[in-house]
Amino acid sequence: METPGAQIVDEIQWIKRAQQGDAEAFGPLVQKHQQRVFSLIYHLVRRRDEVEDLAQEIFIKAFRAIRSYNFQSSFATWLSRIATNHCYDFLRHERASRVSFYWQMGENSQQELESNAESQPEQVLDHEEQIVLKDLVDKLLARAPENDRKILMLKELQDYSVEEIAEILNLKPTTVKVRLHRARKRMLEDLREWREENKGHAL
Amino acid sequence: MRCNHIREQWDELWEGEATAEVRQHLTQCAACARHYRDLRLVRSGLHLWKREEAPEPSLGFAERLVRQLGEMSKAPSVADFFESVGRRFVYAGLVLTFLALLALALPPTGPVRGLTAADIQISAQEASLAYSDPMEETNWQETPDLAPVEESAPAVPNEVK
Repeated sequence: METPGAQIVDEIQWIKRAQQGDAEAFGPLVQKHQQRVFSLIYHLVRRRDEVEDLAQEIFIKAFRAIRSYNFQSSFATWLSRIATNHCYDFLRHERASRVSFYWQMGENSQQELESNAESQPEQVLDHEEQIVLKDLVDKLLARAPENDRKILMLKELQDYSVEEIAEILNLKPTTVKVRLHRARKRMLEDLREWREENKGHAL
Repeated sequence: MRCNHIREQWDELWEGEATAEVRQHLTQCAACARHYRDLRLVRSGLHLWKREEAPEPSLGFAERLVRQLGEMSKAPSVADFFESVGRRFVYAGLVLTFLALLALALPPTGPVRGLTAADIQISAQEASLAYSDPMEETNWQETPDLAPVEESAPAVPNEVK
């Protein structure tokens, strides 16, 4: 089994060959990073059926741009940056939905769900409650401003550290912290506003 | 503990659990309790998404991609061609726009041309006006109209009259 050091040397060789236009050398890079790219796309776009097509486009884009990779950041970070931007081009025209299963629940069911979410781990919630909660967050993310969405998804769904997000988004770590704080706050404010809009619509 | 203190700890609450002190405040303050409940609701939803497994790449995804890239690098890319041609069009458009703006910014002097008969006629009329006494009634009447001199209308044939 190869040591991590040997793996890094291999990766550098593949990148250098790919920079000369060698598509074969790009294969091992795809193999190595495809899982991470698929996961990133899925969490950014949250549509299973779109993931593979988007991944293909992202890897093609990366191969075409690989000469611009200058080894300053890790290849994974560079690839994540391309993937994040590509997904955002894809999502740019997405229209925020005004409908969520959550608002279609009765007021008692909403309160029960809130109380369950507050008191127990989310994986213990029943299947239906999980679907409602995921749908609510999906819609809230879709309604959020683009910069908020990027940061929230990289942090909350992909579990990147503040430093990694800073590298992917070309920001300072302190800026990421401030933006993350604001994005979380805005998301909760949006939930409150949305609740006001839907008052009386609950079954 | 006051509401302000809770709001200052928002990020900690987002990432961790409420302390006993915070919990006590939540039992006494309806606004903060509502806020915390929303936070937990959203956070639970985000955690559920985080636990979702992304779909696996289909069998042979990397091999197909490499084959596609190989074919793309062999044949000169049509997209690349259009990109380079398109870029030239953009540059040409920018140059033309710049020239058009430059032309608009210059003083609006017309092109230099030679004098025509009509110009000489108008100059003569202006000269005669300059030397006449504007207070003389006869001159008012005799002063020719400064409107451009029109050519005399062609004679209408008698049949039409």
